[in-house]
Amino acid sequence: MCGRLPLATPERIAVSAAGVVTPIGQDLDTFWSALLTGADGISQIERFPVADLRVGQGGEIKKLTRAVDWRRVPDCRATRLLVSAADDLCVQAGSRPLDVEPDRLAVVVGTALGGVEEGERALGGSPRRLARALYDAPGHGLARWLGARGPVVTVSTACASGATALGMGAEMLRRGEADAVVAGGYDILCRFVMRGFDGLRSLTRDRVRPFDRRRSGLLLGEGAALVLLRREREAGPRRLGTLLGYGSASDAAHIAAPDSQGRGIERAMRAALAEARLDGADVDFVSAHGTATPLNDPIEAAALRRVLGARGATVPVNSIKGAFGHAMGAAAALEAILCLLAGRHGQIPATLGLEERDSACDIDCVQGVPRAHRPRISLSTSLGFGGCNAALVIESA
Amino acid sequence: MRAPRIRAIGLLSGWGRGTAAIPVDASEAAGGRPVLTVERPVLDPERFRRSRRECLMGVAAVGAMLEDAGQGPEAIAGERTALLFATAAAYAPSNREFIEARGGSMYFPYTAVAAVPAEVAIAFGLTGPYEILVGGAPATMRAIARAAFLLETGACDRALVLAVEVFEECVDLFERLRSPLDGPLVEGAACLWLEPGDGTLTFERRRGREDEVSVRFQLGEMLACEPLATLALARDSAGHEATQVHGSWRGETARLEWSTAPYRTRPRAA
Repeated sequence: MCGRLPLATPERIAVSAAGVVTPIGQDLDTFWSALLTGADGISQIERFPVADLRVGQGGEIKKLTRAVDWRRVPDCRATRLLVSAADDLCVQAGSRPLDVEPDRLAVVVGTALGGVEEGERALGGSPRRLARALYDAPGHGLARWLGARGPVVTVSTACASGATALGMGAEMLRRGEADAVVAGGYDILCRFVMRGFDGLRSLTRDRVRPFDRRRSGLLLGEGAALVLLRREREAGPRRLGTLLGYGSASDAAHIAAPDSQGRGIERAMRAALAEARLDGADVDFVSAHGTATPLNDPIEAAALRRVLGARGATVPVNSIKGAFGHAMGAAAALEAILCLLAGRHGQIPATLGLEERDSACDIDCVQGVPRAHRPRISLSTSLGFGGCNAALVIESA
Repeated sequence: MRAPRIRAIGLLSGWGRGTAAIPVDASEAAGGRPVLTVERPVLDPERFRRSRRECLMGVAAVGAMLEDAGQGPEAIAGERTALLFATAAAYAPSNREFIEARGGSMYFPYTAVAAVPAEVAIAFGLTGPYEILVGGAPATMRAIARAAFLLETGACDRALVLAVEVFEECVDLFERLRSPLDGPLVEGAACLWLEPGDGTLTFERRRGREDEVSVRFQLGEMLACEPLATLALARDSAGHEATQVHGSWRGETARLEWSTAPYRTRPRAA
């Protein structure tokens, strides 16, 4: 949606509830408290061997603590993270099963890795796990647990997947294909992805320092984040906010690195704002991708300055990746939820790991302590391998 | 929703190039072969030195689509072209190689589902809306519906719907997952060029397997490529009538129907 307005004003899509599972909290309230207090979710990885890797740390969830009947859930970590987040979502929504006709409940999830760990295990001698190795298997597992009999869709725009899922879920509601959509993203830490990023020398031996002068790379994390989307006119009074806009764009520049000018993420942001019928001057807060790689942060900061215009240096920005690493397919959905919680609580969490701001990242990244600020309009940005870019515009309730 | 018009189709399959190579009966034509493979396309060896076969198949399918349209790459370059990619399993060979440590770390980015459309976007300078769906035929049909939405709302002037499936490197794994009665696995890469059109497009889905399997009887198992191959066949046989496509995957069946003939031009060899 490269800057041109759609023909008609899109129907407003409410976010009625949300649920998360992360290394710093396995429900919405704990997650939010941990972000505000600066909890550090990075630890030595224990669930699989990392001794041969350059970096063995990440945002690992040590134990799933929700009281779910796991006998009804496949022994697949990705599916179990999704179910944990869905269980939290149901609590927040006030009912399980969700109060929707099963045939009218859709599931749209984004992932960078799908069930790849099941593929590792299948090739390692557990062939019965093979069927779970397909990237859309965890999404179908989630749908079964929810009792959803509507469409089940998996998207994989790498680390922008969670944003793509929310955008696609909103369109599904506007077209009347479903009455409610559980949308979001997930990914797990496994040897496959740790070995890949370790080999690329993308992982830091220091801490994750988004937008910091000394930043030296990312660490990976795991998690799942889901929202319940409904058409606003049917959503009822219980809501966290409204999804106003979504945009995507391809870089067409490099298989793994972002476009050096940030043109793709800029197009995605402008498209999301266009769908929301807003422009950069309306944005009160940015939940940035902010991976803390030397390349990403200044490119993203410059793109934000272009889109936000005159207020670009003063709009508060946060990156959650300092708190528990880059949660890949879950990241964008978590960052969207952060926007909603910031609006609800009137606070912007500090960016953990940011101590010495990089002058090449000329944005107002919240540093040190949370800032009292209640954003009405938030922008969330996501970039991924393969030149994937996506952005969301969110209005707080 | 408003139906998009199909301007061109590029199709490569394990049967050969275009629709002329597709047999009447896939099982009989396969002669017991479990997989019909697409050879690695021969493209610029320097530019594509690290690219995997499935990526090159995607690039070649777009090239075949441009040939079908009688256009050069400049006709699709830029931010007004959307790219929507669908696959059920094109990532499987790269993932397997990386798991079995046959690929070095520089190949890790090629394990992403996004690797195929990324190579296509880079090769043709496609910088518009960009989405990737995972699944069989219904995922591709949903991608067409998404493209229709993007065209209808003015988010793009044209949309490419690309699907790629490869099986050769993981045939032993796929054979464990399926019934021998399903027919041969047929690799494919296909791309549809869509632009604003007339009439309406209906996209529906329901639980359960599809009843209509005649296309699969003819094509073999092409997963996400099946709807695009079906549209190519339909253009050859009934290009001036309303067109329906069916497809199923994981217990879900989808149907896509154009109220009027969706093809812009007379059939042409892809």
